[in-house]
Order: sequence, then C-alpha cells, then structure tokens
Amino acid sequence: MASIARCLRVARPAAFSAVSRSSASRTPAARCFSVTAANAIKRYTKEHEWIDVTADKKTGVVGITEYAARQLGDIVYVELPEEGKAVAAGDAIGAVESVKSAADINAPISCKITQVNLLLEDKPDTINKVAEDDSHGGGWIAKVQLTEDGVNEFDALMDEAAYAEFTSEEGDH
Amino acid sequence: MTLLTRLGTLPRRVSSTPKLNCPPSSPFSRPSRPPTIHQRRAYAPLLHHPLQIYRSSSADPYLNLSIEHHLLTRSDPDSTILFLYTNRPCVVIGRNQNPWLEVNLHALREGLPPPPDGTPQEAGGGGNTPISLVRRRSGGGTVFHDAGNTNYSVICPPRIFDRDRHALMVVRALQSLGVAAPLTHPNAVRVNERHDIVLDRPDGETANGVRTFKVSGSAYKLTRTRALHHGTCLLGSGNLGRVGGLLRGPLGGFVKARGVESVRSAICNVGGGREEFEEAVVGEFVRMYGDGAGEGVVIGEEEALRQEEVVKGVRELMDAEWIFGQTPGFVFSTHPTEEDPRERPAVEWSLPDDFHAQLTVRHGEIQSARFAGFEYRDFGVDEACEDGILSTTLAGKRLHHIKDWRRTLKQASPAAIDADNVGDWLNHMFGIRPPAPFDTTHTPAGSSVGGAVAEAVVQAISHTPVAQLLSGRDIDL
Repeated sequence: MASIARCLRVARPAAFSAVSRSSASRTPAARCFSVTAANAIKRYTKEHEWIDVTADKKTGVVGITEYAARQLGDIVYVELPEEGKAVAAGDAIGAVESVKSAADINAPISCKITQVNLLLEDKPDTINKVAEDDSHGGGWIAKVQLTEDGVNEFDALMDEAAYAEFTSEEGDH
Repeated sequence: MTLLTRLGTLPRRVSSTPKLNCPPSSPFSRPSRPPTIHQRRAYAPLLHHPLQIYRSSSADPYLNLSIEHHLLTRSDPDSTILFLYTNRPCVVIGRNQNPWLEVNLHALREGLPPPPDGTPQEAGGGGNTPISLVRRRSGGGTVFHDAGNTNYSVICPPRIFDRDRHALMVVRALQSLGVAAPLTHPNAVRVNERHDIVLDRPDGETANGVRTFKVSGSAYKLTRTRALHHGTCLLGSGNLGRVGGLLRGPLGGFVKARGVESVRSAICNVGGGREEFEEAVVGEFVRMYGDGAGEGVVIGEEEALRQEEVVKGVRELMDAEWIFGQTPGFVFSTHPTEEDPRERPAVEWSLPDDFHAQLTVRHGEIQSARFAGFEYRDFGVDEACEDGILSTTLAGKRLHHIKDWRRTLKQASPAAIDADNVGDWLNHMFGIRPPAPFDTTHTPAGSSVGGAVAEAVVQAISHTPVAQLLSGRDIDL
C-alpha cells in the first residue's frame, strides 16, 4: 500500500484536500472503533497498513488504513492473502485493485495468516466504507498470529498520533 | 474504429510546429536537443542510476513485461525509469480480469489474416499470424497490441506518482509531433477522466463538433517501494477493425463475474512512426527529469534472458495457471438466479428443452456444478439423480484443462447420455476447439488446433522465439 498516498493529486484535488483536513482533526463520526479485543493495541506502517493486536501480542488483525482507502479510490477487487502462509514484514500478501491500479498489500510485521476476510470477495468496496473495522462486516483483510520477530517489529511501528502526523505531512507535500 | 489518415505525415518535432502545440500551463522548457542515441549494452549494471532510459528490441510481450517487472523490482527505489517496447500481436488482459469473458478465444486462436498485399505481418510461416494471450501484473482492462502500437512505461518513486503525470508526458510528446492539430480543436489530444489519452477529432455529425477516440490506455502497479505506470499508444495499427472481434467472448450474458470488466472505447491511430514517437517521449522524459540518463540503452532478448529474474518472470507470465488460474471467481448460469436475475440470452436451439446449467468457478477450478435436463439413452433411469451424480463429478475440474466438453460430460455421467449438443455449446462458450469427431482412431494432420484453451495458449507460446530461446537452455516450459 506504499505508493497510493499521493497518487490522486491531479485527478482528484477535492479528495486530496479532504484527506489533509481530516487527518489533522479526525471526527469521531468518520472513524470505526474496533471492539473485538479488550485492550487491543493498534499500530500503523508507513505503507498505510494497520495492525491491531491483542494485549498478549499473540494474535492480531491486519488491514489497510482509511487514509489509504480514500487515496486509492473505488476498490473493485481484493486479492486475499493465502491462509496458513507465514510471511515476513514487508512481504506482499495480497493486492487491491482500484482505478486501474493493482496495489500490493504488505505484511506490517512477520506473522502467519490464520484467516482472511471472505466478505471482501463479494464486497471489495467494504474497504472504502469501513477500512479499519475488524469486526464481522468490516474491511479488515486478515487475522494473523504474531511471530517472535513480529512482536519486536510491532513495537517499532507508529501509534495513532504518529500516523496521523505522518499522513498530514504526506498531504502537505 | 477509424484510421486517422490525415495525420499520416507528421511535421518533424518542435521546430516546425510552433508554440500552439504546447499547452500554456506546461512547466517544461523546450530546448532543442539532439536525438538520443540508443546503444545495445547490458542494463543490469545501470539499475542504481537515478535516471534510466531503455528500449527493448524484442517483440515478445511476455519478455517485455518481464524486463519491465525486473526494472520495477530491482532498480534503485529512488530512480526514475523510462522503458519503451513494441509487441507482436497479442491481447493483454488486466491482472484481475476474466479471459473467458474479455477475449474471444476462438478468434484469438484463428490469428490475424495476412494483409491484402501479401506481406506477412510477422515471420510466422505464411499462414495467419498467431495472437498471444497475456495477463499482465498491473490492473485495468483488456487491450490489443501489434507492431503499430508502442508502449511506454515509467517506473518512479511513490512520492512523485500520480495517475496522470506520465500520460500528460506522452500527450506533450504527441503534441510535439503535431498530433494535436490545434487549429481544428484546442484540446485535440488530452488525458481523459479515466487517465487514458484520447483524441478529439472534428466531426460535423456530433452535437459538440468532435468525436472522441482512445489512442492510449493506462494501467498501474504499486508496490511497497515503487510505482509503475504503463500505457499503450496506437500509432499505426493495421488491425483496428479486427480488435472488436477479438475482445468479446460469447460468454458475456451468462456470467456474473468478480474482478474488473473492461470499458469499451472507440479507438484510432495517431499516425507517425515508432522511432519518431519514441524519440519524442524520450525528449519529454528528459525535459521532466533532466539529462542525467545519458544515452538510452537497447535491451536485446539474449541480454534480457541472461537475467535470472527475467527468465523467472517470463515463465510465470507464460504459465496457464497465471493466465487462466488467476481469474477472479465467476458463476456461469443458463437461467436467472437469485444473485443474478438478469434474463439470459437464448441458448442454442439444439439443447434439450429444460436444460439448465450452472458452474461456480474459482481460480479456474469448478467449485460446484449444477446440471439438469440431460437426455439419457437408457429408459428407466432416474434422470434427476443422474444429473446430480454428473454435476458432483465435475466439481474440482480445472476449466482451462477441459479439452472437449462432450467427452467430459460423457465421462462424468454414470448412465449413457446424449451430451453432444450440450458439449458443443459449452465448447463454444468456453473457447474450446475440440479434437475432430471420432478422433480416437485417426488423428488428422494439424490436429494441434484442438484441445483445452490452456493447451492452445501454451502451444502458441511454445513457438515463439523467446520460448525457443528458453528451451534451448533446457528450461522446461
């Protein structure tokens, strides 16, 4: 999900400025809170993936961020990750297609894919609606089991405030 | 579908076409520069250069896309690269498209007839020119390529990527060649809302006085560290009238498919030659990014195939499991269903009256089949029960491996069945040309035309120079 960040500057200036605004002052109405695990911790990558892990850091849920989903535009197809596959941080685990672009989905940390969100096969635009919702009906992409490396990599990722700042800086370019 | 003949002779570049051709907002100065000299040399050592310009001397679509993929994955992440190539006749589908829907596989297999003047389009042995079927790694819809279509590809860091940036670069190149025809219409060549390059041609019969034709289609691939934009440009294809017939399969009205559907557009040539166009695109690329690239490099087939990753890429793209097996899920159904209540086109009159068929296909594999209404030769069989057994037996078969539906149905049926008409119709639907009837005893010469679509594709591929080069190196295709 790396490169989508600035891709629509010319094509959709309105969408772009909307993003810059909303990352500075996010309104609760525009966000989806996860409700699955108590004390879940959420982190973000520079490539615009999010991962929400349980308090014991054993399992987590992965998706692409609302910011990324807005930048990509209408998502028309999701290539889901392969269940059971062990992946390293940064590996391409799937892809989304929007507006003629096939964009890789990367593993935010080293992990094993335990479940994929089959809802996205029929309703890929769920990601445009609720990209960061990890509940049934949400736009999450995969459930994962963290490896030892994965736990360390997780700790190094951005928290919500850092990601908000990161995206607002991207928007200012 | 019209050839733009009036632009057949183009003025030579900037000096002869004054400022009118340059959009007023263009930020790029237009100094005259000498033509780029392309040298044939190894490209792998150049992958760390900040600016790189390459041209492929190969016409093989699998090889050219694999060189491009090699550049995408192995170049310095901060570098910006221009790559130009022209393919032999082929139909290229997008990463997430359905070849059974998007392509008329029968027409593809027929190939292109020799042009009326008798000169063969490609060295291919006098008969029809074969057309390759290719699935690219980028998104978007289906396009036709031939020697009259030149492709440009720009690979850049994500931070400077947007979908129009390099389409506009090509528009400026076309304008510098005089394609804009600014005296007839100020926006004659432009990028439209779908990020394609279109040509507005004067037409007295339309309300706004112009008719719009697509001359170039764009597609993108975004990785963690890189962004790729590639596009076609129709310069002088002699096959425009045939493209429509290649791009529509008979399956359309019977299928509900996931994935990406192509948008049909009227197309035309912009005129001009390949070298002229390449030169102009290189010129605009250098104006945007500077002269640091030095002289362009021509990549030859042997040089490209010395790169292990290019060979790996070619093998991936030529694999029928990629071309067909990557197809997003779809449901084929002869009758309206709850999920897809559309009225269906009329089926062949020769099919049994109450014949029903439904196939659910995922990654080319039949997940479930529901056939009903077959006619059985034995009296007294429970027809519904036999239909059920036949349907269950079909699950798990790979659609692109089926060589002849007549035989597949007969083999799947426990009772003697009249399956020839249904089998013929399904062969037609799925682009299969079955072996000649009763071929178990004698196989006519040239029977290689029959068989599964996957086989036909692999067979066509195996005759290409690149495949022969690969096989000469003991690489098993």
